[in-house]
Amino acid sequence: MLTIDVKKKFVKKGKEEFSLDVNFIADAGITVLAGASGAGKTTTLRLIAGILVPDSGKIRLGSETFFDSEKRTNVPIQKRKVGFVFQDYALFPHLTAGQNIAFGAKIPDKIAKREKAHEMLELFRIEHLENRLPSEMSGGEQQRTALARALASDPRIVLLDEPLSAVDVETRAKLLDEIELAQSRAKIPFIYVTHNEAEASRLANGRITLENGRIKSEELKAIGESLG
Amino acid sequence: MIWSALQLSLLVVFCATLIVGVAGLAFAFLLAKRNFRGKELLDALLTMPLVLPPTVTGYYLIILLGRRGLIGSYIYDLTGWSFVFTWQGAVIAAVIVSLPLMIRASRASIESVNPNYEVAAYTLGKRELETFFHITLPLAKRGIIAGLILSFARALGEFGATLMIAGNIPGKTQTMPLAIYEAVASGDDQQAQILALILTAISILAVYLTNKISRSYVYG
Repeated sequence: MLTIDVKKKFVKKGKEEFSLDVNFIADAGITVLAGASGAGKTTTLRLIAGILVPDSGKIRLGSETFFDSEKRTNVPIQKRKVGFVFQDYALFPHLTAGQNIAFGAKIPDKIAKREKAHEMLELFRIEHLENRLPSEMSGGEQQRTALARALASDPRIVLLDEPLSAVDVETRAKLLDEIELAQSRAKIPFIYVTHNEAEASRLANGRITLENGRIKSEELKAIGESLG
Repeated sequence: MIWSALQLSLLVVFCATLIVGVAGLAFAFLLAKRNFRGKELLDALLTMPLVLPPTVTGYYLIILLGRRGLIGSYIYDLTGWSFVFTWQGAVIAAVIVSLPLMIRASRASIESVNPNYEVAAYTLGKRELETFFHITLPLAKRGIIAGLILSFARALGEFGATLMIAGNIPGKTQTMPLAIYEAVASGDDQQAQILALILTAISILAVYLTNKISRSYVYG
């Protein structure tokens, strides 16, 4: 379960450009973070991952504190064990799908690492991509590889930043199934950022809608409700 | 004269390019990825030899490294040796004048790598240096290789600063550009011609390679 209660201001040339003030709980299902572009969805994800640092507040995952401004705790990105799927996938362009996935696997042994990558490729039914570079893959294939890479690092939470925005409508439905399947297998919280209403209503165990850096509405189902 | 000048030039340029490659990358990483006090000053200082007349750079090198220089006096007291009038002095001169080319080319190239790749590596648990060597460096290699070739060419043509600190001693510190000057000054046109042709050929090759490399290695 992820608990976040943070504030962050973005100042440019002495003027406040944007301020974020969010407070929510995400349980071990898929939580959708919805809202128009510029609402602060990506910023929220980046704060959870540790790519950005809040001005104040707390971020906790389970019993571990990622960030606490009062206790001056700020766990570095590397140690947060967060699987991040970027909007543009950010697959390393000079590495093949297999190498991309192996890169994140936290196993020192090279052979075991390759086996782990192979296992992930099989799981996402993309074995045929093992030796292909990202530039030789379709959007959907890159998306699967990015998800496989994020999960290969044994994360404790997965953050997806509009993962399907560059994929055509047909592939989108299939990939949504796969993301749901991946979540139910991994049994860890997934936070899914989207501004697409169809995706949001399809996936959500819980849905948080942001507007202008604030929470506009919050629908939490099942366990989330009792904790809210 | 031709043979010894060519040999010496190659030795000096090889050593200089090696030092420039390592030091240039380190400075490029520092300037591209780190914020620290005096960063602008360091950047300006390292770029200076690009705009200073080489004889002025050479003059400062004497002030720094000469027998009674700011650093040179310590070296001389300790070892009885100094950079002045040695081939090592020529290497230092070549390094100082070509370093800014390496730093500029590789820094620009490092900064142009999509930062999401680096962030992605961090989320996968990789430390900054590990990420730099496995992700940033391979993706920036075009600019880095171009920087190396430019530095190599600049070091090969170095004249002014070399003359100031290493002098023009045939067989000891007389590199190709200095040999050309001497050949012309003493009326030995044939000698000058051969040397000039060799340098021209190497320069054309350097430009050709740089262009070729900047067209390859394009990733999405």
